[in-house]
Amino acid sequence: MAALPQLLVSTVLLGGIYALIAVGLTLIFGIMRVVNFAHGEFLMLGMYLAFWTFTLWGLDPYVTLWVAVPLFFVVGLAVYAIVIRGVVRASHNVQIFTTVGLSTILQNGALVLWTGDFRFVRPWYAAVVLRVGDAAFNLSQVVAFAVAVLFTVALFAFMRWTHAGRVMRATAQDAEAATLMGIDTDRVYRLAFAIGIACVGVAGVLVSPLYSVYPTAGLQFVLLAYVVVVLGGLGDMVGALLGSLIVAGVEVVGSYAFGSAWKEVIYFVLFIAVLLFRPAGLFGQRGAESLGA
Amino acid sequence: MLELDAVTKRFGGLTAVKEVSLTATPAEIVGIIGPNGAGKTTLFNVISGFLTPETGRVLVDGRDVRGLAPHRVCALGLTRTFQLVKPFGGLSVLDNIMIGALTRQTSVSVARDEARRVAGLCRMEALAESPAGALPIGLRKRLEVARALATRPRLLLLDEVMSGLNPAELAEMLDLLRRLHGDGIGLIVIEHIMAAMMRLAQRIVVLHHGEKIAEGRPEEIARDPRVVDAYLGEEFVLADA
Amino acid sequence: MTRHALALAFFAAAAVMPLVIHDAYFLDSLVVILIWGAVSAAWNLAGGYAGQVSLGHSAFFGIGAYAAALLATRFNQSAWIGMLAGAVVATAAGLVIGYLSNRLKGPYFALATIAFSQVLLIIASRWRAFTSGSEGIPVPFRPGFATLGFASKTVWVYLVLALALAIYLAERYLEVSRMGYRLAGVREDEDAAEALGIPTRRLKVAAIALSAALTSVCGTLWAQYVGFVDPFYVFSVDLSVRFALNAIIGGLGSAMGPFVGSLLITTLETYLRATFSGIHGSLIGIYLVIYGALLIVLVRFVPQGVVGWLGARARRLGRHARA
Repeated sequence: MAALPQLLVSTVLLGGIYALIAVGLTLIFGIMRVVNFAHGEFLMLGMYLAFWTFTLWGLDPYVTLWVAVPLFFVVGLAVYAIVIRGVVRASHNVQIFTTVGLSTILQNGALVLWTGDFRFVRPWYAAVVLRVGDAAFNLSQVVAFAVAVLFTVALFAFMRWTHAGRVMRATAQDAEAATLMGIDTDRVYRLAFAIGIACVGVAGVLVSPLYSVYPTAGLQFVLLAYVVVVLGGLGDMVGALLGSLIVAGVEVVGSYAFGSAWKEVIYFVLFIAVLLFRPAGLFGQRGAESLGA
Repeated sequence: MLELDAVTKRFGGLTAVKEVSLTATPAEIVGIIGPNGAGKTTLFNVISGFLTPETGRVLVDGRDVRGLAPHRVCALGLTRTFQLVKPFGGLSVLDNIMIGALTRQTSVSVARDEARRVAGLCRMEALAESPAGALPIGLRKRLEVARALATRPRLLLLDEVMSGLNPAELAEMLDLLRRLHGDGIGLIVIEHIMAAMMRLAQRIVVLHHGEKIAEGRPEEIARDPRVVDAYLGEEFVLADA
Repeated sequence: MTRHALALAFFAAAAVMPLVIHDAYFLDSLVVILIWGAVSAAWNLAGGYAGQVSLGHSAFFGIGAYAAALLATRFNQSAWIGMLAGAVVATAAGLVIGYLSNRLKGPYFALATIAFSQVLLIIASRWRAFTSGSEGIPVPFRPGFATLGFASKTVWVYLVLALALAIYLAERYLEVSRMGYRLAGVREDEDAAEALGIPTRRLKVAAIALSAALTSVCGTLWAQYVGFVDPFYVFSVDLSVRFALNAIIGGLGSAMGPFVGSLLITTLETYLRATFSGIHGSLIGIYLVIYGALLIVLVRFVPQGVVGWLGARARRLGRHARA
């Protein structure tokens, strides 16, 4: 069991990143009940942002990070206004095709603009490996984890202690009641979506030193994020956090046991398994019952 | 034909239906009333197979149908409608009814003729080609009944088919239901509109907090203190229709 | 009436063109339009007629492609055997997906189908021993009927046209059959359909399984035509989305819709490819950006697609003419 410390450390570090992605998705899904098929594409855009600022201006991703927050927030606002707002109350199929259309636009837009070549962000610290006892990890992973936790905590604080946060939670619980109480649900949705996109855009910047950058990079992350969100119990942020750790753990241990080539199979299978056997999430939260037929 | 024996349905900590027993035959019109949340629709869901009760039996012609899929319950002769009507919005009125008729008919043309007949019965022939989704609520409710009727049920379970109707529509619906009963179809009717219920039902079952608190003829129910108690705070008129 | 006219025009034109035009490039486009139309029509069985939107249909397409390629290269079997084998495997996979459709609603079902197709992609691209892994499998060209080895594009046009027409006619027949009407009920409102005595679960599974089998057949033909099976292409999410795209743009739930959609999209793609290849190679991808945007607009404002829209206009014109 000498590998245990390493596995634990890897799990925690990876879990932090997944948490940031999932928490943004939980916000969008939990409040608007829209399954955003394009979520992974915003991650991809974050990665490209880091790549281009790094390549063109030598900007370190951890600097770009702070630009990414307001940038993706605004992008989220714009996308909501142009695309999402019109379909928030539409049928499932309309929502699916709308966000799939969005995903198509973003993926192929990236392909057209930047080609399908794999890109890499390699700042000076990319090769730095830290060692604590039996565990080794990348400096980039640690920073990504730290920043992810920072943002996630900030989001929690926002949701719990600010007025806006409370309003959002109320809307998530019962949109109709919220409207009757005078809450402008449109503004709530807009804010939720913008924050969700900001989170995933930042996550993209954070992981850019760790993964290759290419137009369809978002796909694996989006499915993963949905595994987390469903596991954690749709719409529950604490659940999303716990779900992130679990998924990260499964991935890390799975890679260790079967080799990293098969880890994608693991989380796809995990996804289907969770949807089938624990649609209410491991923590039995409300909302997922509507998943099933 | 239908017999419920101490049926109980729980949702987590909430007991929506508690040990409810009742019977119904095609020769009767049975009404089910009760304040909001009394468990009436849940009871329909259990009878029609959309929900499985924790305990108790649901017997159709003496056979236990617990756990049977709703479409099989319908095949046995029980068809239910939905409180929030569910028309096949993208299809025409006639197609809606025809889909109901196709449960008993294998030929599309025979089913279509049958659907026209049912549409006529329900005075909807003029609307045959209209898209169901464009109908106002009164006609949607009538379509809901027509569609269910096309499945040739022996017992029709109607969930609040009269709420939301204006007085003229209400009168028409009552007339339709009486004619259907006259043709030999039993009715189990959930209703909030007391006036209508009193005129229609031969026997009324009263539910409150999931339990049956009274059963009897309309006049008896109207005078029953337990029933009046249950409805205190609710807006309705028990007596005079 | 419009739909008959449209279908007649489309299929008649497709049948006549190879007799008149012999340009290989043109005929190739025709084959491609017909194949993509056919596979989108197969998708439409599940997505449009049964209302089960799958974004993982490339799983079935890939199964068909691989079945043909593997049986031809590893076991020296005729391509028709490969087609049959592919259809059988795809049907089994379709039953699994059908089961999922009864457990998961809307977007979750769609996500699960994506996951399913990606699992197949990973398996196909890593299982070197069986599938040659990520290199893919070249489909050998052996002239002859049994091996679907036709050098002549004209023959391919008629072959694919036959398939396309068969699927189209099958769907037209379905529309007026008992199963078709009941399926429409399931699509419109599953609970209501169930309450009316329709075995919704069984019907959904049947529709999806049939859709899977037909998609697989298209995959087999495509693999034989193109001559190469690349796992990253045949199992891609991109491909699954395109099957759906054709159908939506043309008209979900209409037999002709997917063909019209395929015509529009493939034509634009071919045009862009011809105009931009070389100079700005990647600009070709613009057509997908356009279609993504089109998808968003259409699904909200013209949900019945081009065919539905044409039909509505024709009816309006008819009314004016009579007035």
